[in-house]
Amino acid sequence: MKLFTIAASKMRSLVIGAACLAISGSVSFGEEDTVKVGVLHSLSGTMAISETSLRDVLLFTFDEINEAGGVLGKKIEPVVVDGASDWPLFAEKAEQLLVQDKTAVTFGCWTSVSRKSVLPVYEKYKGLLFYPVQYEGEEMSPNIFYTAEAVNQQAIPAVDYLLEEGYKKFYLIGTDYVYPQTTNLVLFEYLKSKGVPVESIGGGLREDAEGNVISAGNYTPFGHSDFQQIVAEIKAFSASGDACVINTINGDANVPFFKEFAASGLTSEDCPVVSFSLSEDEFRSLPAKDLIGHLGCWTYFMSIDTPANKKFIDGFQEWLSKTEVTGVVKDDRVTCSPMVLSYNGVYLWKAAVEKAESFDPEKVMAALKSGISFDGPGGTVTSQENHHLTKTVYIGETLETGQFSIIKSFDDVVGEPFLKGTFMPK
Amino acid sequence: MKTYTTLCPVFILVFASLFFVIPDARGDEKNARSLLVDIVNGDSVGQEAALEALADESDPVINAFYSAFRSGNIFLMSTADGQTQVLIKEVNDYSDLLTGEAVNPTGELSVARASRGLRRDLKRLVDLLDLNSPNRSKKIAAAEKLGLSQNADYLPELRKRLPQQTEKSVIKAFQEGIYITELKVGSLEEKMRAVKGLGKMKSLPAKGFLEALIEESAADEEANRKLMVEAKNALMMINSHQAIVEKVGTLFRGLSLGSVLLLVSYGLAITFGQMGVINMAHGEFIAIGGYTVYIIQNFFANQFGVGSTGYEWYFIISLPFAFLIAALAGAALERGLVQFLYSRPLESLLATWGVSMILQQIFRLQFGAANVSVSSPEWLSGSFSAGGVSMSYSRMFLIFFALFVVVLTYLLLNRTKWGLHVRATTLNRQMASNLGVPSARVNMLTFAFGSGLAGLAGAFISQIGNVGPSMGQTYIVDSFMVVVVGGVANLFGSAISSLGIGMIDQSLQPVLGPVMGKISVLFAIILFLQFRPGGLFPSRSRSLDD
Repeated sequence: MKLFTIAASKMRSLVIGAACLAISGSVSFGEEDTVKVGVLHSLSGTMAISETSLRDVLLFTFDEINEAGGVLGKKIEPVVVDGASDWPLFAEKAEQLLVQDKTAVTFGCWTSVSRKSVLPVYEKYKGLLFYPVQYEGEEMSPNIFYTAEAVNQQAIPAVDYLLEEGYKKFYLIGTDYVYPQTTNLVLFEYLKSKGVPVESIGGGLREDAEGNVISAGNYTPFGHSDFQQIVAEIKAFSASGDACVINTINGDANVPFFKEFAASGLTSEDCPVVSFSLSEDEFRSLPAKDLIGHLGCWTYFMSIDTPANKKFIDGFQEWLSKTEVTGVVKDDRVTCSPMVLSYNGVYLWKAAVEKAESFDPEKVMAALKSGISFDGPGGTVTSQENHHLTKTVYIGETLETGQFSIIKSFDDVVGEPFLKGTFMPK
Repeated sequence: MKTYTTLCPVFILVFASLFFVIPDARGDEKNARSLLVDIVNGDSVGQEAALEALADESDPVINAFYSAFRSGNIFLMSTADGQTQVLIKEVNDYSDLLTGEAVNPTGELSVARASRGLRRDLKRLVDLLDLNSPNRSKKIAAAEKLGLSQNADYLPELRKRLPQQTEKSVIKAFQEGIYITELKVGSLEEKMRAVKGLGKMKSLPAKGFLEALIEESAADEEANRKLMVEAKNALMMINSHQAIVEKVGTLFRGLSLGSVLLLVSYGLAITFGQMGVINMAHGEFIAIGGYTVYIIQNFFANQFGVGSTGYEWYFIISLPFAFLIAALAGAALERGLVQFLYSRPLESLLATWGVSMILQQIFRLQFGAANVSVSSPEWLSGSFSAGGVSMSYSRMFLIFFALFVVVLTYLLLNRTKWGLHVRATTLNRQMASNLGVPSARVNMLTFAFGSGLAGLAGAFISQIGNVGPSMGQTYIVDSFMVVVVGGVANLFGSAISSLGIGMIDQSLQPVLGPVMGKISVLFAIILFLQFRPGGLFPSRSRSLDD
């Protein structure tokens, strides 16, 4: 099947549609008893590595809810479409979900560019999208609910921790697109507001004609493979001690970066790297010994030791062992923050639907805005008026096993999307 | 193949002798061991005391303990009599940390973890101990690092050891460390001397400290005026030196990027340049090499355990395998598909593109969609620093190996009968065949050789980059770019163009940044090809005459 993923992506919805018809025809419950829910992730192309895990966890969550009786007495009927890492295609698929399949809600998107491309579609058709992956903020669509980490729920707590630990110099590095650029700009302002001098913020600045900083940090293209120059720069930057690296490099470009970093003789004791796009899932393809002691910051870690998390992990593993969905990898699976935020999103939607007693996106959004809590695997999350979540932020350091050991947590951090220009330099 | 087999052991020997370090045994091992147990078991006060006491020890067990502690290889085990025993795991064997005796763990093991702070302290300690290391580069690195911490506590340690040093570079490193520390903690006189000294030795690490000194001193005038002038002088000397160092560094990095490009494109230069086959599956042969290393690494890890001496050899062993397996795949592709398409180059493009997608999906099915992790052996990790330029061992190895590949290919093509046949077939396949050259066999072997080189390139990339189903896609464009710029059918041209592109890319990067740098390089290549469509060394070959 996988051999023809690309060609099949166009056909997939048709096939799934047909499969669903077949199921509803043969199984006891009919059309009336189900509610259609869209899943919009890349199942092929460069983002498939990350997004396939979210499809898996969503299907697991739907099964878990269906077993417990569904939503308002209706079973969830997933409509899975493939965005194929192709941003305009995301918009087409979104339109198909809303117009053709008439899904009540969609869970989907990973990259900010895919979210930006479906946003006008959801606003046009007054749909509802749950977005689960840490992002740069500066957005609040009436039709999107962001279970994702906002910048102040990831980057800023991480910087707070580093300042607390006595680090004085910060090197910013990222992949060249909207999330790293915006995050680093916010961090640049934040660091300045904390009294860090501009000379101690490495990676370079770009200013416009009036002298306003429009870009902070060093940027590489997607899939960059040669980090010699940058690591040499970091080595010189950190030579005088007390330096750390803030890393927003996305995807597999992290591998050559960390290999080069380790080869240059730098370790996490000399100059720790805190990464915002590396979760347990990504660590599976990184050489663990090069990463020991480097930092991560998320609102969930697989190593959280709570009954809720244990239940989630066990349930997911059990589902994996039984599932018959094609293309689900069953071995060596881990759970990570975007997965849990997808999971939380489904339960929050369920709670909101039950509160509103309706599947109507507008009423559901109103219910979400009124504040709904859910005890998720990463602790309690509460929906806010501004379409974001209040949740616990964890700082973890990498172990040789590819897991994080949690070294600090910040409770009940309120998600705040609009941060640019809010930090005034001292 | 003869050259290959004779040269390979030489390479292994040279590199093995360069990088393996024999630790020396000195100091009171028993005392050190009991202090280390205190660190594992003690509270923060006990740990601090133990750390302090350890600074006087210099047993190699401390280094071993440190690397085991940070990678989760220190274990606590409850013994039958209710005591807790601390075990250290090295490769696959456990031993008692207190006594050093081998232990076969029977009870339940729990991992002992070091807090971040403790680990940083331990790292400082290890650096301090490295001052006594018999290894020159470790000693230098330790002295530099301690100096950079500007900690007054280390000053006596450095001063005490300075007169004992004999080698020039080590003396310089110690002196540099002392000066930098004095910049912060010394008297005015000492500072004066330090500033002058640092300027004279053109110390790069001191740059930041001197700048800070100038800034701080600005506030309280008179007394510091002379110091400021000296500091500015020193800074000027350092800056001009830095410019040179950066140029040398860029040269090395350009050479190393060029070597990567050369390795990935050389196979293509043979299949595309010599044979005229547009092989879109070239990138996947690179991936075959990468996955071969991954499989052999896992096999060695299971067989010998990660970190053991046997494991260290996995990379060397995997090189011939990467070559052979990719070559076999290449031979199969040539026999199965390409041989029918010699007269139809455009169709060979489409067909091999299809093969490329099939291979990618096979990798996905076999190894999963995510990239796999390959870690470097110890002797390829780390770097070598000379006069402020740091060169990693893996990159140095890569440069040598690229050179080796170029020489090997040259010898094969120009000194063997097979090479003669290849060149004859390149010029005119039909005519060569009429004159008795077994062109079918020559074609297969040539294609296999080119594919094998791609496999070797993949093996090297596994040490510096990603191994995944789509890794080939990252390099296929670069490969074609190098070959076209160099001049199709000219191997020497490919070598020159890869080095040239590498150098230009690395020289532009510091000025324009990685994104604009890459764009500029591509733009320059487009312009270049406008004026010289034949590339650097245009040559007449069958494929261009068509």
